[in-house]
Amino acid sequence: MKIRDRYIFAKFWILSYLRIALMGLRHGPFNMVRELIRYPWLRHLLKVAGLMGRLATGRTGAFLEAVCMIQYSVVCSIADILTDIFTYNDRLIINEDMVPPEIARAMGLKTWNAEVLGILLPMLDQRAMEEYIDASENEGIPPDICSLPKSTMGLTLRGEMPPALAIVTSNLPCDGGMTSYALMERELKVPVYRLDVPFNFYSKRAEEYFANDLREMIAWLEKNTPGRMDWDRLREICEERNRMTEYELELWEMLRTKPAPLAAEAVYLGHLWHFNMSGGVKESTGVFRRLVELAQNNLERNIPAVKNEKYRAVLWNPPFLHFLEIFNWIERTYGVTLIIDSMTYNRVPMIDTSTPDTMLRGLGTMIMQGPMARHTRGPAENYLDDIFRLYKHFDLDMVWVAGHVGCKNTAALNGVLREKCRAAGIPLLILEYDLSDPRIVTHEGMISQIEYFMDNVMKAEKFE
Amino acid sequence: MINQSKIAEIFDEVIASPENRLLEQDIDEGKIPIGYTCSYVPEVLLSVDRLVPVRMRAPGIAGTEIADNYLSSVICSYTRSILEFALDDRYDFLRGWVFAASCDHMRRLYDNLVYIKKPAFAHILDVPHKINEAGLAWYTDEIQDLADRLSKQFEADMSDAAVSAAIRERNDFTALLSSIHELRKIDPPPITGTEFHRILTAAQVSPMHMIIPHIRETLDELRQREGGSYRARLMMVGGELDDPEYIKVVESQGGVVVADRFCTGSIPGLEPIEMKGDPIRTIAEHTFKKTICPRMMADFESRVQAIIDVFRDYRVDGVIIEFVKFCDIWGVESSPLVSAIRDAGIPVLKLEREYRLSGEGQIRTRVQAFLESMGK
Repeated sequence: MKIRDRYIFAKFWILSYLRIALMGLRHGPFNMVRELIRYPWLRHLLKVAGLMGRLATGRTGAFLEAVCMIQYSVVCSIADILTDIFTYNDRLIINEDMVPPEIARAMGLKTWNAEVLGILLPMLDQRAMEEYIDASENEGIPPDICSLPKSTMGLTLRGEMPPALAIVTSNLPCDGGMTSYALMERELKVPVYRLDVPFNFYSKRAEEYFANDLREMIAWLEKNTPGRMDWDRLREICEERNRMTEYELELWEMLRTKPAPLAAEAVYLGHLWHFNMSGGVKESTGVFRRLVELAQNNLERNIPAVKNEKYRAVLWNPPFLHFLEIFNWIERTYGVTLIIDSMTYNRVPMIDTSTPDTMLRGLGTMIMQGPMARHTRGPAENYLDDIFRLYKHFDLDMVWVAGHVGCKNTAALNGVLREKCRAAGIPLLILEYDLSDPRIVTHEGMISQIEYFMDNVMKAEKFE
Repeated sequence: MINQSKIAEIFDEVIASPENRLLEQDIDEGKIPIGYTCSYVPEVLLSVDRLVPVRMRAPGIAGTEIADNYLSSVICSYTRSILEFALDDRYDFLRGWVFAASCDHMRRLYDNLVYIKKPAFAHILDVPHKINEAGLAWYTDEIQDLADRLSKQFEADMSDAAVSAAIRERNDFTALLSSIHELRKIDPPPITGTEFHRILTAAQVSPMHMIIPHIRETLDELRQREGGSYRARLMMVGGELDDPEYIKVVESQGGVVVADRFCTGSIPGLEPIEMKGDPIRTIAEHTFKKTICPRMMADFESRVQAIIDVFRDYRVDGVIIEFVKFCDIWGVESSPLVSAIRDAGIPVLKLEREYRLSGEGQIRTRVQAFLESMGK
């Protein structure tokens, strides 16, 4: 590792722990001990250095800085959120991960994303969710249900969810996730508002239906919480989010260049966290501004993110949460570069902030047609067409599907996808694994699948 | 005592394969059979004018090898079985298919069928996940759209008068079925759950006017019949269950199924359609009311209450929750549902099963243990 790379890594490493320490000091050591007992999962957050080390391996220069910076930004963001749940019990609501928190924040409410731990903790410790998945299955939830709602239900059953005034959820992204809120409502004994995204959401009729649903949700929140809608505040949040989106669009445009100036976590992890957790927050916009600078820097100097970029890939379905370093491995082993993914790519990213009505329509469209939401709801073409669109737009070489065994509604399209890819001459890897549970397919098992694909389909040779 | 073999003979023949003798005869007379897969598809609309609704089943399915290649082996075996039968040309007699976007698995069945073997007419209804005024308005528009498409495709008369006539006919039919269903309240019931579901399943796959005489005859005979001894009165709750043989396995341990609350069952499936002005909106309201499914997000408590009410009305001793393996909505909902029912002091057994009758030994053992746990 070069000296500058070492400096960058050390800087973000130290900053991350300082941020965690600062949160602890502000809240008070005695209180933190109490919170650790109350929320045993907090201990996993201290493992951020391990993740940083794993993701930094093999990365250099601007790419390394981008990856480290995003991880640091996630640490800062989660520290802020934790401070909120420790401090603002009187205005805390739980929101499902497909319901962005912008509206609640404009109402002066604090939000806890119910699925955030199921997403974040496996990144920090691959085995972190096992006890919660087991708790859920021991309660009678069938093992074949997606491990993300199982994780969330497990946390709920073990009493490790923050106490909230209300829950806002939706029918997204799948039936398992949607139905899990029946259990959560019963366990947490708080009122629940459920947003309903129609099956056919590409129409004015659907936009109106869903915007009305959002209006009802606001009225419901005003009735059930101390939150009050501040439309000016919502406008500021939406405008800030639009600024972040503009930077992201700029970044995507640069990713079309071969070789790509940034890749992998610099693209998907930034989006996954900031667009879902903290859209409209200045610090998040700052992250994307810096990503654009780093990408531009690499472009101007003709430096690829991945040395020896040989294959450009798109990843469909959520990234491999408990094995994020798989992308470093494929970069170093085969020169496969992850350019874009289904969780990041959004086709309707901007919100018209002219009036409250346009904002609600914009937010509604963003929810209905957002990444993952539009792929798992609606007809098959919602899922399939984007794959081929991105393949062409980013001049890719292969399609990877994260074949999460609990995601049945996408598994049921693999046959069609396989035939369509074959007809188009596109190499397709469907990598079977479980989103949050490495006991289902081990890391070795995942690597074997990749090696088999690269050897037999791509006829690729390993670098080392 | 009624001639049991006669019930079995008539109705067993009708439910043995997708295209039965009565249906064939009706098709020969110019009727148009339309298949449907879910209780959120209003079958009454598919019986307007020359249309005949046919509930999609895959009786006697042996395996789903081809369907698994497309749908994968981890989605519910009902949808895989239907696709397998379709790919095996077993539904070629249908002139159209109507689906409901009721669950992930059903949506993907539609997607795959349309991709692999595009039927001449295939439509999927967009059913809201909330029962409120906005949801009802949305669903009414959806049903109107379906009516318009059926009218265009098959030149079916979808006027208000024709739809209203179909509603009246359907009400007469369900009233007849309800007369048999009501006999199950008697103690001891003169009809077993297996026999009742043979009749009910036959009613869902046959032309109404052709099956009615057989049902009337059966009702007359049942009125003369006395019930036998039993160990416990049971209620079955769950999703798609269109094979009465499953109920026979459950009843083989001495229990009698006197009430059901599943998609293809009688409660509240046999409720009459209450005419309130616009017949299309009437159908939308009725379909919401008669289908109690966990895919409706906000109605958990009312689903629990519906079970408790039936438990009391039918003097049930224990509830069996059954659902097809890999069903996400029933799989998840069954957990809090079991807790809620137990909290109400009702004995409950949860059975996960395949669509195709299998694992009979295990089912028998579990039902046996359940009956014993109730002290029966």
